[in-house]
Amino acid sequence: MKKNKLNKYFFIGPHLILFIVFIVVPTVYGIYISFTNWNLISKPVWVGLDNFRTILFDQNSTFYFQLRNGLKNTLYFVLITVPFQILIPLIIAVIMSNKDIKFKGLFQSILYLPGLISVSASALIWLLVVNPRLGLQNVFGSTTVWTVSEKHAWMLIAFMSLWGAIGGNLVIYRSAINAVPQDLYEAADLDGASRVRKFISITLPSIRFPLVYTIVMSTAAAFNVYAQPLMTTNGGPEEKTTVLMMYIRRLAFGTGESIAGMASAMALILGLVILIISSLQFILFYSSSKGVEVK
Amino acid sequence: MKKILTTILTIIIAVSLVGCKKEDKITFWNPLTGDDGAFMEKIVEEYNATDPEFKVESIITPDMYTKLFTVINAGKGIPDLTLIHAHVIQQFGKLDLMEPVSVLQEYNPNLVKENYLEQAWNSGEYDGIQYTIPLDIHGNVMYYNKDLLSKYGVEHFLDDNIVTVDEMLQLAGKMEEGDYVVNNALFEWVTFGNLVALGGSLSDESGNPTLDTPEMRQVIQKLKELADNGLLTPYGEDGYAMFQAGNVLFSTDGTWTSTAHDSIDGLDYGVTNVYSTSDGSKFYNRSSAHLFSILKNNERSEEKVKGIADFLDFVRENSLVWAEAGQIVASKEIFESEEYTKYPQSFFTSTEEEKESLYIFDYEYYNYAEQALASVLNDIVYGNVDIDEGMKKAQDQLKDLIEESEKSN
Repeated sequence: MKKNKLNKYFFIGPHLILFIVFIVVPTVYGIYISFTNWNLISKPVWVGLDNFRTILFDQNSTFYFQLRNGLKNTLYFVLITVPFQILIPLIIAVIMSNKDIKFKGLFQSILYLPGLISVSASALIWLLVVNPRLGLQNVFGSTTVWTVSEKHAWMLIAFMSLWGAIGGNLVIYRSAINAVPQDLYEAADLDGASRVRKFISITLPSIRFPLVYTIVMSTAAAFNVYAQPLMTTNGGPEEKTTVLMMYIRRLAFGTGESIAGMASAMALILGLVILIISSLQFILFYSSSKGVEVK
Repeated sequence: MKKILTTILTIIIAVSLVGCKKEDKITFWNPLTGDDGAFMEKIVEEYNATDPEFKVESIITPDMYTKLFTVINAGKGIPDLTLIHAHVIQQFGKLDLMEPVSVLQEYNPNLVKENYLEQAWNSGEYDGIQYTIPLDIHGNVMYYNKDLLSKYGVEHFLDDNIVTVDEMLQLAGKMEEGDYVVNNALFEWVTFGNLVALGGSLSDESGNPTLDTPEMRQVIQKLKELADNGLLTPYGEDGYAMFQAGNVLFSTDGTWTSTAHDSIDGLDYGVTNVYSTSDGSKFYNRSSAHLFSILKNNERSEEKVKGIADFLDFVRENSLVWAEAGQIVASKEIFESEEYTKYPQSFFTSTEEEKESLYIFDYEYYNYAEQALASVLNDIVYGNVDIDEGMKKAQDQLKDLIEESEKSN
């Protein structure tokens, strides 16, 4: 009996230790630092809510502008990428569920590959694709410099992000759709249901949990966007693609003495935003899932 | 049988343990990625081949300063030797992180100012104390395309080794489509070098930041004229690549890029001073330096300090290979040698005037100033933002950063 009681700790122990060391402790310390002024070398100086007052209320402060501009650009990125990160792989997964489609594994691998490429390499590839002298747009006679036009800059960042993100969600959706009992579709066929009807009334409810998981995870990941705008536009033009993580990283680990306290305060605000939105998503999707029937 | 196997196993383990004896080395952290790192590895290998008492273990750390702060805070794992940049000397000095070079000079009398390029040596001084031994000066230079200079008949621009913006403006309307006079590589450095040439500064006598000054405005206005006349490579395009492709007369990048330019077939280039936004009577090339430093660490033995001194003296005598990385070698023995003259960067140590043009900022908040200017400069020059509005924004940002930083000290 004693042996059985200890077994469970052996299984969850390693993960729990790593979770505490690399997630819990840094998070708690980060929250503490947000109430201090700290340059990473000297001892942190406690300043209470000063950092938060500055970034939330001091309109003359650079940091106030950085929080608002960064958060606005981050939210914009979430809105223009997350819906497509869900819809596109979902549609592809539904198409691939058709038994007449051949080479499904090959297509899935091709779509998954971009997710394995590092962001730096991906940025280089996409910058070449949109290069005004060497890129694809030359075929169509266009010489737009994508990185200095706000509209095109966001398109570049979004395309690059979606290119890498589609494969991961596709794998999850394909697996989920394959697990839906076929007799449900057969019964729907007998009742004369259309493909759209079957998708809405059978597929979607059946894959609700993986769908909610990918929506929440994709949203949280999108809020942490950093490398794509950094490597392609460097936040330009006129800081219109500078996301909050870029300001945070620059303040905490940029050239010059670290302003870790202010950076932590911004990071805490970002964390709270992610927490609130993720919670709302859970409440929305799970509350409506109670008593769901497949009609 | 079991006894024989046990004996063999014991012997194998014993031999392995002997072979695993830990060798004490000099851990040398440096941020030299890419080709630079390869050249430094070569120097380290050559030193280790001399069978010194302490071999050097070079550890390339791209995010070195973040990791340094971590180990300094922890008090453990502090490297024996680091290669730092001139722009952190003020910060490191204020935080009292470094040992003075006198601890090295006790063991090696060659590690003195007289044996190094003065500008490089001086950049390692804080509050009257010397803390570093220089490896090189690296900085902003201007490469020119000889074929394009000939094509447009403007070789005479280089008669006095300084090209001015007014000279460049003579080419307005005369460039073929797709050709440009100059790119915007390292634009902030170009601006800072010209600011100092006009008598401007990044701070006043009290140390208060002064980005928003008439001198700075004058420099930026001149840069804007280049863009307004279509002579500057377009905003957002890779001006450095365009120079290599043979479409740009002048490229204001760094000493280290000569190695990349060498690899381009058909690119016949030379190197000179960064262009002047005024009359060129005074000119500076904004520079920095790689400096060897030993951070304070109670665990470091005196024998190891001697070993470090020996290594640095070896570097002083054998750093010609470092010139292949495109850098201006700081060791006098090297930059005054005949072999060094074959390197393009030898131009900057060929006369006293050129040496004096290598300007290394010692402003404590230089990095913040560069960061603040970088956030607005291209937008001002290319007309997206009004010059006064942009300069005010940069000044305000710099003031806020400094104010916040001072709260931690």
